[in-house]
Amino acid sequence: MSLISTPRRDVAWIGRFSALLRYGVLIGVGLIMLYPLFWMVAASFKPNHEIFGSVSLWPQDPTMDGVVKGWRTGTEYSFATYLLNSFAFIMPKVVLTVVSSVLVAYGFARFRMPGKQLWFALMVATILLPKSVLLIPQYLMFREFGWLDTYLPLYVPCAFATDGFFVFMVVQFLRGIPPDMEEAAVIDGCNSLQVLWHVVVPVIMPAIISVALFQFMWSLNDFLYPLIYLSSVGKYPVALALKMAIDVTEATAWNQVLAMSTIALLPSLIVFFLAQKYFVEGITSGSVKG
Amino acid sequence: MAKGRVLLRGVTKCFGAVDVIKGVDLEIAPGELTVFVGPSGCGKSTLLRLVSGLELPTGGSIMIGDRDVTLVHPSERGIAMVFQSYALYPHMSVAENMGFGLKIAGLPKPLIKEKVAKAAEILQLTPLLDRKPRALSGGQRQRVAIGRCIVREPEVFLFDEPLSNLDAALRGQMRVEIARLHAKLGATMIYVTHDQVEAMTLATRIVVLNAGRIEQIGAPIELYRHPANLFVAGFIGSPAMNFMDGIVEAVETNSVSVRLNGATLRLPRHDAAVKPGAKVTVGIRPEHFRVGPTPADMDDDQAVEFDAIIDLVERLGGETLAHLRMPSLSDGVLVVKISGDVPLRIGTGLRVGIRLAQCHLFDADGRAVGEPAARAVVAA
Amino acid sequence: MYDNRVSGYLYIAPFLIGLATFTLFPFLASFLLSFSDYQLQDPVEQARFLGLGNYTQMAGDDTFHGSLGVTFLYVFITVPLKLAFALFIAFVLNFKLRGIGFFRTAYYVPSILGGSVAIAVLWRYVFAGDGLINQVLVWAGGEPLNWLGEPAYALFTVVLLRLWQFGSAMVVFLAGLQNIPTDLYEAATIDGAGKARIFFTITLPLLTPVIFFNFIMQIVQAFQEFNGPYIITGGGPLKSTYLLPLMIYEEAFKYFNVGYAAALSWVLFLIIALFTIIAFASAKYWVFYGNEREDGE
Ligand SMILES: Nc1ncnc2c1ncn2[C@@H]1O[C@H](COP(=O)(O)OP(=O)(O)O)[C@@H](O)[C@H]1O
Ligand SMILES: [Mg+2]
Repeated sequence: MSLISTPRRDVAWIGRFSALLRYGVLIGVGLIMLYPLFWMVAASFKPNHEIFGSVSLWPQDPTMDGVVKGWRTGTEYSFATYLLNSFAFIMPKVVLTVVSSVLVAYGFARFRMPGKQLWFALMVATILLPKSVLLIPQYLMFREFGWLDTYLPLYVPCAFATDGFFVFMVVQFLRGIPPDMEEAAVIDGCNSLQVLWHVVVPVIMPAIISVALFQFMWSLNDFLYPLIYLSSVGKYPVALALKMAIDVTEATAWNQVLAMSTIALLPSLIVFFLAQKYFVEGITSGSVKG
Repeated sequence: MAKGRVLLRGVTKCFGAVDVIKGVDLEIAPGELTVFVGPSGCGKSTLLRLVSGLELPTGGSIMIGDRDVTLVHPSERGIAMVFQSYALYPHMSVAENMGFGLKIAGLPKPLIKEKVAKAAEILQLTPLLDRKPRALSGGQRQRVAIGRCIVREPEVFLFDEPLSNLDAALRGQMRVEIARLHAKLGATMIYVTHDQVEAMTLATRIVVLNAGRIEQIGAPIELYRHPANLFVAGFIGSPAMNFMDGIVEAVETNSVSVRLNGATLRLPRHDAAVKPGAKVTVGIRPEHFRVGPTPADMDDDQAVEFDAIIDLVERLGGETLAHLRMPSLSDGVLVVKISGDVPLRIGTGLRVGIRLAQCHLFDADGRAVGEPAARAVVAA
Repeated sequence: MYDNRVSGYLYIAPFLIGLATFTLFPFLASFLLSFSDYQLQDPVEQARFLGLGNYTQMAGDDTFHGSLGVTFLYVFITVPLKLAFALFIAFVLNFKLRGIGFFRTAYYVPSILGGSVAIAVLWRYVFAGDGLINQVLVWAGGEPLNWLGEPAYALFTVVLLRLWQFGSAMVVFLAGLQNIPTDLYEAATIDGAGKARIFFTITLPLLTPVIFFNFIMQIVQAFQEFNGPYIITGGGPLKSTYLLPLMIYEEAFKYFNVGYAAALSWVLFLIIALFTIIAFASAKYWVFYGNEREDGE
């Protein structure tokens, strides 16, 4: 690998050629990766006939028609309603996930207790457990609770650290931090909850942000759970609204649907670009540092 | 009355099935700077953490001052601790770090500020009070960690290898600062280190630990002069003491004759509890050999000379370590410390003298034999 | 660190409650349901014990056989391709080239968005009759294909959607690559090892833990694929994209055959469990844990 710098000319030439090759591959793949996204954004501002008519990205005849109609949607609610609905369950979901994951991870990472290995192993196992095996009984259970067509089934479980992945992520992060600081805080008079609040939480803030961001993104993408639990259109989140849009919009009104998709992706994109490093840190913490 | 006294009685600690501390009895007088020293993994940190309350003992009791604190929360024991990693809170400023304990205790802000300012004054941290730990050098962080202790006005300061993350120059400087701080505050301090030089220079008293047990307790000079056993003899002093295997030939009221490889040494010992024929070990410190003509003040009874062949020479500048073969004493190579830069050539011969009074004698179990038992109190 | 086991259990109490309520209980309940004829609209008390009825029904159910086949096909194509591609790009990226950060971001974006319905919707239009792909094909002088209507191609569109999201696996590979100490490469170069040799004797062995992690995650994910086929093709045409999770959903919530759906979900669970167990059992033969660390708690 190009670790040892080589001043010799012939080698430098090979180096440059290989760099060129690499850039070629990277740019080619990057283009394929991003083109559909650009096409989607561009199509939102094209009249329909132009979407079918040309491969070109730039709209020759730009129009806001798709965006406006898409925002209005074919239903009695505007897209704003669906966006707000999404946030209505995502916000509690994110908060509950963060709080419960941190508490549980702290317990696992910092306390000696009998049976810990077993519980930890079970926690990791739940990460691998397919959700569909739990889906039906959970549905029946929430039906018994009278929670159908509410957001409760979507976020209440998060208060109980049901996403083992996040607990695992925080545990891994905590294991990388020597406990000295927390011991200093104990000597300074903190009980374990004060240690958590005054010392651990500030120190593991990057992990906490990662958890919040991932949960935010994944919840925006949530489809199956809203699909089975929500029945009134007025409570639909964006994901369901989009699915409904492709079913009810006239088959030719592509620009509306694609404009809606673009808008639907905006929150994720904005969050991702504002906080990119937390995603990379988060996804790698569970796999590499372990 | 006994403010600052620390008393451990029969303290043991097991982690699962592993016995880490195997029964420690220790009394530390108020105002002493006691150093726990021993090889890595011998349980020094564990013992210190038992005193701090970060670990609870499996057995035994711990008293600080007049209180039994065996089960008392660390913050209520009247202790403060400096960690090897400093353990400063990265998100708090120096002032907040130092005042955190007082804040948790619910002291009013102006009082906290006053106490922090006073401690910062002592440690010359005043200009740094608003900085975050990551903007400080290693030595400064160390001082903040100490400052955090001072603010708490503890009965007992605990240090766990506080200098081992610093470079050599800074370590020497901080060592002096800690000694000065001890003189100034007059508080009881317990200091853990694996570095016997640190132990010798800082301590009022040294506790030598090995494998979870106390090997010997005493003033630095006492441990140096009268190590109670082979372990302490080998651990204290640098370079380490030379050991030679021997067999007791004769025991008299005032001496023990030991046959080494070739020679027989008649070591002065009172009431030595060994029998002729017993296996023993004789120890001599490298600095107790003499090279060159025997000074006139040595009478023949005390000094003996041997032939040696130079095996290797390490020159340290001010002094020289010569690795010598002395077949009459031992099969192995003995290290001899010679002050100055004497011309020495590998392979050449040499006359080396020792004083019998400076030889140490240990029985087959590694315990010191005879005279050291009647130890004189050595003022530190 | 703390010996206080009571507070330790207090901290993990939320997890224990959640585990019992939202995982273990449903897990066992679906097992029991799988032996019943329970219908979604009925009160739970009306469920009748069927014995192995649902499982024998499965044995003769062509839809199930088809779904199972499609599921395996999907997993066996998607997972290896995705891992190989992610690894390849990670290698290309693991050089001190300028602009690496940009490319890493560009490749990662689809993974972040990819699970969303919006992207599945986009995919549907990209592969539609007049969609982007066919436009490009025509523009390049080829024949347009009926991607979504032709059973032979439809699964391929779903596979492509997931391949398009190789980014998260790639980021993990990249971190793994960057975790390999450079002095190992330097030592090997001084020892006279060529590039290929270095790759096979140093890079690959040291990367196996990361490969293992990615493999498990991707397998588990792929077997649970739902959004893609549900939105892009609805399971069709001719059930050519009717993956098992889709069938479970429809049996339960469209046809109300909860008992049968539960049995299907248990089959899916057993398949995933089997793969996971095989992977973990085989790990000791091929996963290299160099600096194994004692858990010093
Ligand atoms: N929390 C713990 N759990 C298990 N073993 C421990 C723990 N803390 C220390 N030990 C073991 O106890 C022994 C003594 O450790 P320590 O007191 O840290 O030694 P040192 O003298 O180097 O400070 C070591 O063998 C260490 O592995
Ligand atoms: Mg230690």
